[in-house]
Amino acid sequence: MGAITYGVEAEKLGKAYRLYRSPFHRVLESVSFGKVNGHSQFWALRDIDFKLRRGASMGLCGANGAGKSTLLKVLSGITAPTEGRLRLNGRVASLLELGAGFHLDFSGRSNIMLNGVMMGFTRREMMARMDEIIDFAELGKYIDEPVRTYSSGMGLRLGFAIAIAVDPEILIIDEVFAVGDMYFQKKCVDRIFDFKRRGKTILFCSHSLYDIRQLCDEAIWVRDGRSAAQGDALYVTNEYTSYQRQHIDDASRALEGLIPANTVREDGLPAQLPKVREARVYKLGTDEECYEVHCGDGIEIRVWWENPDPEGIPIHLGIGLLRQDTTVAAGIGTQLDGLSLKGSEGCAVLRIPNLPLLAGQFLLPVVLFDEGGIHRYHEYLVPENLFVRAFTKEVGLVRIPHEWDLESGRPVPDHPTRPRKSAAAPGR
Amino acid sequence: MSQPRAPIPAHDTPVPAAAADLGGRHVPGPWVGSDAPSIWTLIARVPAFPRKVLNHRDLVLSSIIRELRARFQGTLLGWMWPLVYPIFMFAVYYFIFAELLQMKMPGITDDQKPAMGIFMFVGVLIWTGFAEGMLRAGNVIVENGNLIKKLAFPTELLPFNVTVVGLTTMLFGVGIYLAVLWGSVGLHAVGLIETPLWPDAPGLGLLWMPVLLLVQLMFTVGIGLLLATMQVFLRDTMQLASILTLTWMFVTPVFWVASPQVIGGIEPYMDTLALNPALHLLNCWRWVLMVGQPAVVFDGQPAFLESLGTISIWAVCLFVVGYLFFLRSQRRFADEV
Repeated sequence: MGAITYGVEAEKLGKAYRLYRSPFHRVLESVSFGKVNGHSQFWALRDIDFKLRRGASMGLCGANGAGKSTLLKVLSGITAPTEGRLRLNGRVASLLELGAGFHLDFSGRSNIMLNGVMMGFTRREMMARMDEIIDFAELGKYIDEPVRTYSSGMGLRLGFAIAIAVDPEILIIDEVFAVGDMYFQKKCVDRIFDFKRRGKTILFCSHSLYDIRQLCDEAIWVRDGRSAAQGDALYVTNEYTSYQRQHIDDASRALEGLIPANTVREDGLPAQLPKVREARVYKLGTDEECYEVHCGDGIEIRVWWENPDPEGIPIHLGIGLLRQDTTVAAGIGTQLDGLSLKGSEGCAVLRIPNLPLLAGQFLLPVVLFDEGGIHRYHEYLVPENLFVRAFTKEVGLVRIPHEWDLESGRPVPDHPTRPRKSAAAPGR
Repeated sequence: MSQPRAPIPAHDTPVPAAAADLGGRHVPGPWVGSDAPSIWTLIARVPAFPRKVLNHRDLVLSSIIRELRARFQGTLLGWMWPLVYPIFMFAVYYFIFAELLQMKMPGITDDQKPAMGIFMFVGVLIWTGFAEGMLRAGNVIVENGNLIKKLAFPTELLPFNVTVVGLTTMLFGVGIYLAVLWGSVGLHAVGLIETPLWPDAPGLGLLWMPVLLLVQLMFTVGIGLLLATMQVFLRDTMQLASILTLTWMFVTPVFWVASPQVIGGIEPYMDTLALNPALHLLNCWRWVLMVGQPAVVFDGQPAFLESLGTISIWAVCLFVVGYLFFLRSQRRFADEV
């Protein structure tokens, strides 16, 4: 049809900020016509390259200060790129901050008008949408009160309602999803879906990988101003989840702290203590080492251990599955299963036929305990982390085996629910 | 988050039919690059200013109304305030200079007794309209930093808007002035007062007002754009500007009459004084508003059309230079405010 197939195109986009040490250096630089360099450069964004199909949506993820907002600013034309170029095909509405430009002394109604014309729409267009906006924001009679009297949630609702009502072809949103209560969030998300359905191009950044996975076709993971991964939203968010190197380092360090250093026996002789020599992960039932698995795969963890004094020191083996954010996904121990390690050395195999973990990177600490499962003789971290990918949009840590019955036809019970055990019940 | 969400189509599904329908309507946007626009591109964009204002007339109008409303929002007198100020000023000037000090210019007849008060009132009114607009315009970009960082819109409209606001308040004053003058002429005609405040109220000469307003607007916006740009990069600008504006006011005949008949020995400086564009601006307004005023006020002054020509040239030049300067740095505003 010869029409433009891309909504947003960016080529080698880069944005550098100039940092002047003081106003004096700035004056010096300008009076010397640049011969004296008074500033240093900071690249907030570099080499961002993408083409976003019309009607597609793209999410940006990444740590704070990675350059997500800068990218959105450059794309919405608020600031010019330092290198590269970009093109937007269609009318843009950008929502970088809810309620930017609100005049607190004026009523909600006047602010709708002011904000709308600020975004480049005419009074007539805004008049036509006034009722729709007021409806969506659900401000009721407060719409004619000064915005100063609004709660922050009400202000945000109004801001979102305006931005979403103006019906642009390209919508750029920065981190403004979590607006108001659950009910309003749902409305916002429905609206965004509605946008998608009508073939609008959407670009937004969010810390919620969930939102990106659910709403976006594509994603870019921005790290230190560069694209660390881009493409399919599921792939990018998985990559990002798997990364978060800092958390991993933190977790490893935390584990190291737990490992007793140079344990000395009471009689003063260096202890011959139990030790994990090696631990590795294999595909279930094979000798193929494997650290990148999918949810539902079968794996086995093999642990080679030694215990110089099996008579004096009975030991147990524990294996943990620790997500990179240090959430314990599972902790399995031989003592808990009523087993123990016999002999002075061996290879213990833990088989997990249907790995229920959802996407993430997991650390595998292996621990040799005393018979009570309290004292740790040796703690060993499997040198490679386990990457789990999940090609499902389910959320959480694990995938619970489940089945649905949607046509069971059971009536609503007419008896009251069984009384809960009181909070003071034993064991609590 | 717990709320259910509708499933979305997988990313590799074709563009929905609705989107395909839009096909023809989509126009490719221009490429936005990193290269600073050349001076010729910038010059070509200067004449587009009026069109920009026109295209965004709703934004301009809303901002101006907002600005005016914001001033009086929540006050008891509300919309009366812009009128109260000039009325009060007029009364004070009349009382102090005509009644109290009995200040008279040489060659003034009795029925022109309040001449000095009126002369100063007009001077202050016009000067305030200009200086207030200029200083506000100089600050407006930095003041609205948050807006500039979050919304994409033509930022040159901000200095324009506040200048128009300055002019509007000035017009309220002009209105009051005319009402008082016409009122006194009327009262005299029906015999209620012995001598009118002014012998000859302004008439057809007022038709020049739109021209004067336009020239003053360009002049003020030009300086405003220049200041606003400098203020973004160097915050000392407006500090310096307010001092200089005060100095400028005193070298401009706002409170004094630049006439050899009034100030002996001013003669040799007349040519130098004429270099001051503000002198010509005030001169024009006084020609229009002080019809039938004492000839002494205009003694040694350039004629109306001469002043109008001079200030017009100043206005056009300042506007072009100021706007070029603004356009050159505009793309960096969001990074600096």
